[in-house]
Amino acid sequence: MLEMDIQRDLVPQEFLAVILAGFGNELSPLTSDHGDEPCLKALLPVANTPLIDYPLSWLEQSGIKDVLLICPAIHRPALSHHIHSHPNSLLHIDIQSYEETPDSAVGTCTLLRHFAGRISRDFVLLPCDFIPPPSLSLISILNKFRTDTVSDGLIATTCWFTASKTDKTVIPDEWGHIAPPVSIVWDKPSTTLLYVDTPDDLDRNSEEVELRMSMLSRYPRSSLSSNQQDSHVYVCKRSVLDVLQEKHHFDSFREEFLPWLCKVQYQRAKREKYEHILSSSTNTSQSQALRHSTLSSKSKAQQAPHVHKSKSTATSAPQSPIPSDPNIDPHPSLRVGLHMHRNGIAARVNNIHSFLEMNRHFLTSASYSLPTDPTQRALIDQKAQISSDTIVGESTQVDERTSIKKSVIGKHCTIGKMVKIVGSVLLDHCVVADGAKLDGCILGKNTVVGAKAELVRCITQPGYEVDPGENVKNEKLEISDWTAGAVGDSDSDSEDE
Amino acid sequence: MAAHSQTNGPPATPTPSHPTQKSMTKAERRELQEKQRAAKLAQKQQPQNADSPNKQKAKPKSDAAPRRSTGAAEKQSSAADGSKSHSKDTPGTAMDNDAGTSISRSLRIFSHFVLTKHGHGVKGDIHPCIIRLALQFSEFRICGANARCIATLIAFKTVIQDYTTPPNNTLSRHLMTHLSPQISHLVSARPMSVTMGNAIRQLKLEISGSDIDMPEQDAKDLLCQKIDDYIRDRIIIADEVIQDLACKKIKDGDVILTYARSSIVEKVLLSAYKQGKRFSVIVVDSRPLLEGKALLQALTSTPPVSWTLSSASLLPPPPPIPCTYALLPALPSLITEATTVILGAHSLHSNGAVFSRAGTALVAMMAKQHSVPVLVCCETYKFSETVMLDGFGKNELAPSHLFPAPAQAPNLETLNPLYDLTPPSSITAVVTEVGLIPPSSISSIPMALGRMNL
Repeated sequence: MLEMDIQRDLVPQEFLAVILAGFGNELSPLTSDHGDEPCLKALLPVANTPLIDYPLSWLEQSGIKDVLLICPAIHRPALSHHIHSHPNSLLHIDIQSYEETPDSAVGTCTLLRHFAGRISRDFVLLPCDFIPPPSLSLISILNKFRTDTVSDGLIATTCWFTASKTDKTVIPDEWGHIAPPVSIVWDKPSTTLLYVDTPDDLDRNSEEVELRMSMLSRYPRSSLSSNQQDSHVYVCKRSVLDVLQEKHHFDSFREEFLPWLCKVQYQRAKREKYEHILSSSTNTSQSQALRHSTLSSKSKAQQAPHVHKSKSTATSAPQSPIPSDPNIDPHPSLRVGLHMHRNGIAARVNNIHSFLEMNRHFLTSASYSLPTDPTQRALIDQKAQISSDTIVGESTQVDERTSIKKSVIGKHCTIGKMVKIVGSVLLDHCVVADGAKLDGCILGKNTVVGAKAELVRCITQPGYEVDPGENVKNEKLEISDWTAGAVGDSDSDSEDE
Repeated sequence: MAAHSQTNGPPATPTPSHPTQKSMTKAERRELQEKQRAAKLAQKQQPQNADSPNKQKAKPKSDAAPRRSTGAAEKQSSAADGSKSHSKDTPGTAMDNDAGTSISRSLRIFSHFVLTKHGHGVKGDIHPCIIRLALQFSEFRICGANARCIATLIAFKTVIQDYTTPPNNTLSRHLMTHLSPQISHLVSARPMSVTMGNAIRQLKLEISGSDIDMPEQDAKDLLCQKIDDYIRDRIIIADEVIQDLACKKIKDGDVILTYARSSIVEKVLLSAYKQGKRFSVIVVDSRPLLEGKALLQALTSTPPVSWTLSSASLLPPPPPIPCTYALLPALPSLITEATTVILGAHSLHSNGAVFSRAGTALVAMMAKQHSVPVLVCCETYKFSETVMLDGFGKNELAPSHLFPAPAQAPNLETLNPLYDLTPPSSITAVVTEVGLIPPSSISSIPMALGRMNL
């Protein structure tokens, strides 16, 4: 163990992964409190694996070892417990917490400014809810960053994937609508991200996308796309944090800072102000080698001013010679790169729709078989019909003549007799009494469904109890409804973003 | 081929694969035999590649590789080559899938310097600078003997500064073992150039000669200083001396022919221009790298110079260098106009042969035929003690994913060797920082300089 520490000292770690675990307000009531206990978005199980395990295993595969996990203070014990229950992981996870409440959530930029002292190298910013497809490897995104940052002056790389279309029949409108993906403008040959639509831009002018001429003259062949979704995976240089420190009014990285950062490369005022921070010309940069390289391609931006000048001053008044200092960097591009991923389904599980969809996606590749452990098998009755595209967690008890189709059942659940569960997601510790019927529902932890109740396309808060014989359709069931008296209050006012 | 298909098509026999033996010519019979043999091979290969062609055909929106193979399959089926193309299609898809695996009819030529596919994982602890540098090499962002050597040395400076000697060890012994995996990581990205090899050998010599009693930081600083001195003395200043020597050979009115892009030749031409000489340049270029375009850009975008005052008269600024750009096949028509040929080199060997970008040998030999003097500009640190007789023993292929061939056909594999060997008989003189020498006398340089080795 001592040798391993010395080995780590010899070679510094290249990247630090920063994972932001927020409250998940859009996933309520699943992330609402269960009694006094908070339900974390990061620990919400998708196909019976906690959500945060997906980005963590993705990081492990890519070879990044250091992780900084930032979460609200009240979530810290639960997250800490979860992290420490996986001692074999190769990752070295440092959990830092921030005081915030679900009502006054702190923006991601503020968090980064606060913890900038702990980030001393190039970092990868990840959300806790991104599920990468197996065909996308973080290494490919990292390689793009590594290559372009040395040869081109790239400052950050982002990853975008094609947003999947929502199925209206499956998800009722009462569950809330999700914001459509923002429009982006990007340049295919150089994979540069040029423009991201922000909510401010939409407020100002919702019908037109306003683009700068300086951007179009640099990249005349850019593409506009409106079905790409941001994975919130950003690989950034350390100097990006220095720039962030200067912009105090930015709150959200994805909505405000990133669109601003894309504009630095082509808006002259911004470039002049921030170029010296963003371009690091240390003595270890490869500028000399790049000057000697036979295949280096200078960006068009450098060419344009030169050509323009020589044409206009062919026979005009004498001009001052341009000093050619051999020691300056070959004009870094300061651009934001883009990795477009098209194969495979990726999702950010930050709203109910994508939660359900990712569960369904994992079901398509699931094949259920009875558990081999005899104690576990004893819990599942012989006469129960469980179709092959379901996932059933461990220690779940299923009684006779129950049929379960196309569903995800969590751990330690108790399913009674003659229950019909179709297309639903049940989280851990649910109790479904005899004769109940569930169709397209999402039941939070510890939900109790009474006998012969029928739920169609409902979501329940953890700990909710459905009365026996109840018939509920297309609703969000929250515990606050009990106190309100009226069962069946559907609230859909917490959805906008 | 087309005629053959027409003879087979119209008869429309129920079993077109078995026309009577007598009606076919010998060539057609052999074709049939080949077809049957290939069909058998395809049968064997079908279970292996059963998934990939089907999956690729099912996803029309996927990348270029499956699109290419399905497009090629349609083309081939329309040419009615039947099972023969199908069997070639499956090796084609296998090749598209994984560039590293051997195909059933693998070409034996140049197979000894095909790069093994650079693994995505990083084995052991490789310094981030070296990881990034290896990517620059494998993506051909940093290309060229001088550029690669400078980049390697700068990266090693960072590695040395971040290094700490473990206890019970000395810097002079342990740093070498620490650098070895870094070097092999670089070599796995792209084979090492002679310049890199010489520089690393010199670095190892310096490391082993470092004083044991010196404090660690001082020893590291001294090593970095030595690296800087090496770059300065043997590359930068050597280049300046070569510029002066070569510029003396350029007169007003010369037509200089150069091939592809060499950093030293570019410097020579630009410094001659700055000295005020009026000459024109012919840039000869070739695929796949098309480095000549970058040289053309560099030569024609010289910064504008102001009017100069000289002996009470105002002289206009000199015009930019007049350049001609042509591809290699146009060389014979341009060589008659050239007065001098200036070339760069990747390395120079003891028998006087110059190892340089593929196509240089053609230029040199053609110039010799037309009695045009050939000057090779080469720093002394590019010398190699080995003897090289041809460009086949040791070479490198350009990776096909970076430089795709323009004509894509399933039975066509493109090989792009990057280097070739120019025999010493085609070279008039080599311009080094120690002077102009005939190519075969490089081995006398260390003795002339009073050194043991180069």
